[in-house]
Amino acid sequence: MSAFPNTPPRSPITSPVDNPAKSDDRFRLRGWHVVVVATLVGLFLLFYQGLWGDPSAIPTVLIGTPAPTFAGPNVVSGETIDLSQYRGKVVMINFWASWCQECRVEHRNLLALYNQFRTNPDFVLLGINYQDKLEDARQYLGVYGSPFQQVRDVKGTISIDYGVYGVPETFIIDKQGVIRHKQVGPIVGTAYSLLTERVLPTLLEGAGPNAS
Amino acid sequence: MNRVSLILPALFLTGGAWLASPVFTPVAAHAAQVDETALDDQVRNIAKTLRCAICQTENIWESQSVLAAQMRQIIRERLQEGESPEQIKAYFLSRYGDYILMKPRVRGWNWLIWAGPFVLLVIGGLVLYRTLFRWTTTTSVPADPPPPLSEPSRRRIDDELRAFDK
Repeated sequence: MSAFPNTPPRSPITSPVDNPAKSDDRFRLRGWHVVVVATLVGLFLLFYQGLWGDPSAIPTVLIGTPAPTFAGPNVVSGETIDLSQYRGKVVMINFWASWCQECRVEHRNLLALYNQFRTNPDFVLLGINYQDKLEDARQYLGVYGSPFQQVRDVKGTISIDYGVYGVPETFIIDKQGVIRHKQVGPIVGTAYSLLTERVLPTLLEGAGPNAS
Repeated sequence: MNRVSLILPALFLTGGAWLASPVFTPVAAHAAQVDETALDDQVRNIAKTLRCAICQTENIWESQSVLAAQMRQIIRERLQEGESPEQIKAYFLSRYGDYILMKPRVRGWNWLIWAGPFVLLVIGGLVLYRTLFRWTTTTSVPADPPPPLSEPSRRRIDDELRAFDK
């Protein structure tokens, strides 16, 4: 009796479930895998970044642009103050209101800052009274004191020209009349040292308006 | 002639006189009022495209804030000075940046806002398509046909079957 002829199948019997070649194929990294993962990681980072910071903060577009000119009545005396009369000086303008608690917090620092730079003939500090009642503003200045000029923003045009959306906000204009720095929120802590130790000294030492 | 026939022409005449009188000719004032409404419409159309800087989700037409009211006043004054809506929007854009627009400009990174959902939709569609394609192809791949039987094997199977039948 002859042996049963050996006739192995020409190719291994395969099933889609336990096909080793196919499962290797399944885990190969492909271009579209990379795209999907990169997109998801990007979205995740975006959401993560959105968790922090102030959602109502508006990034400024005014730094490096010419400071809008303005004129308005002095809060106390009523005489007109015009920004153009300070051309060639470093002008710091501070938007405030009597109803603003943070403005009270920073007021002491404003006085200190003014005392530090008042002897410099190139330095000007202007307060701008924002969305306020005249009597309230005058009373505030009577209580807290103001050795520097205060302008009243009667119709809100100065504030809107400077893209102000809350108080306090502070802008620093260089001798060429260009906005160089903006501070949103009170000038306290690091914001105060940044202004008094770096921004203002640098700009005050800077060349005058006719240098360039 | 009765009384009514006298009253009617009299009424007609006095009515005509009244219509012709200066009392009924505030035409200029009326026109001015229409102009004001047109201006209001223009202010509203512009204000609705600008976002309130302190209330985020509202436009400055709907917002009750003082800042929004001042912005509406600025729009009104600039329109009266003859500026176009585009010039006025450009003014606010130059002060507050893209933030101020209810509909951000399609520019730079802003493309992501507009294109993002569609990009994600396309990616999702591709993934779905590939997955479904793989499912259908892997399940419908036919098993390899059995190898043809060799002649000796076939003859032996026949023998065995014949022996079994006996």
